[in-house]
Amino acid sequence: MSTRDLVLSALFAAIIVALGILPPITLGFIPVPITAQSLGVMMAGVVLGARRGAIAVLIVLVLVAIGLPVLSGGRGGLAAFAAPTTGFLVGWLFAAFATGYIAERLVKAEQSGLVQTVGFFLASAIGGIVVLYAFGIAYLAFAAGIGFQQAFVGSMAFIPGDVIKAFVAALAGRAVMAGYPLLPART
Amino acid sequence: MQSLYVEGDSFMHRFPARSKLLVLAILGIILFTTRNIPLLSIGVLMTGAVYFSLGLYFGQAIARLKPVLLTILVVALFSLLFNPWHGAVVALLRLTALMLFAAAVTATTTISEFIDEITLLARPLERAGLVAANDVGLAVGLVVRFVPEILSRYQAIKEAHAARGIKVRPVTVLAPLIILTLRDADNIATAIDARGVRRHVS
Repeated sequence: MSTRDLVLSALFAAIIVALGILPPITLGFIPVPITAQSLGVMMAGVVLGARRGAIAVLIVLVLVAIGLPVLSGGRGGLAAFAAPTTGFLVGWLFAAFATGYIAERLVKAEQSGLVQTVGFFLASAIGGIVVLYAFGIAYLAFAAGIGFQQAFVGSMAFIPGDVIKAFVAALAGRAVMAGYPLLPART
Repeated sequence: MQSLYVEGDSFMHRFPARSKLLVLAILGIILFTTRNIPLLSIGVLMTGAVYFSLGLYFGQAIARLKPVLLTILVVALFSLLFNPWHGAVVALLRLTALMLFAAAVTATTTISEFIDEITLLARPLERAGLVAANDVGLAVGLVVRFVPEILSRYQAIKEAHAARGIKVRPVTVLAPLIILTLRDADNIATAIDARGVRRHVS
């Protein structure tokens, strides 16, 4: 890995950590505050691509494991890996990779802004929602001893917020693409 | 950034980090293979005794665990609504015991001890050419260094918005925040290479 890739990933990891500390930004039209770090995970994929995005998330998970309170609400430490929702935390890694992988293939520099935004939205939604919830729900069903179906139903309450986050990630990804393109990175 | 490590001189503090992590891993496997409620209760009592003997004030000790404990409780209640009570109790005890011991390891192991262990774990991957083990410490250092930078940059962008009468919206703040931060990456990477910090990279 080149030093630049390492630094890009580390700085994005710092952005994900900062998103957990920042006061929530409310969307103008919906009373949903955007704080959650899963937005940062989607953005890591759309901005950095699959490999660097996944490394950025991996760095955050290392910080959690070594006892820094980097998760929103000052959570951290190995205990964060002992919750029934740990699948969502570990799933971040695969979510960022999937988001980046899809974004690298869907979005091209010569496309119009709208096409790029739609591509980024699809990448964020598939990576940051479908892939993330697959891991989260599977572990929740296993660790909490509740059936797969109930874990699925219980998790659905968080989907609307995540769709909004995928939308925000897509707009941010497109804006960064226009201002400081790092994609496509397939090396 | 304040680490979750707690100064102290309990027996857990004197235990080597590697042994603690091994015990945690083994404990996790044992807890997930048994469904015996008395056995799991003993597990909770023992890990609780370990955690509360570390020298933390009681309120402080509870406050650290509150978010995880709350999640475990909510999921256990949810489970109780739809499933036989046995499963819900098993899951509650199992996760509580694991959480208590994990928190005890976190509170008694310094960051540098942890990084040493992770670097050791990364050695085989290094031989396979996947990662450079020493990069772990570098990456951790970079994040800790740059989080305050990003927070103050966010503040500056917000003030710039206010000065121009623009409403603070996620996209109008996030995009410049990300661009400004990533622009630093080139300079930082050049500085790291100029100082030969990562000697193994040509």
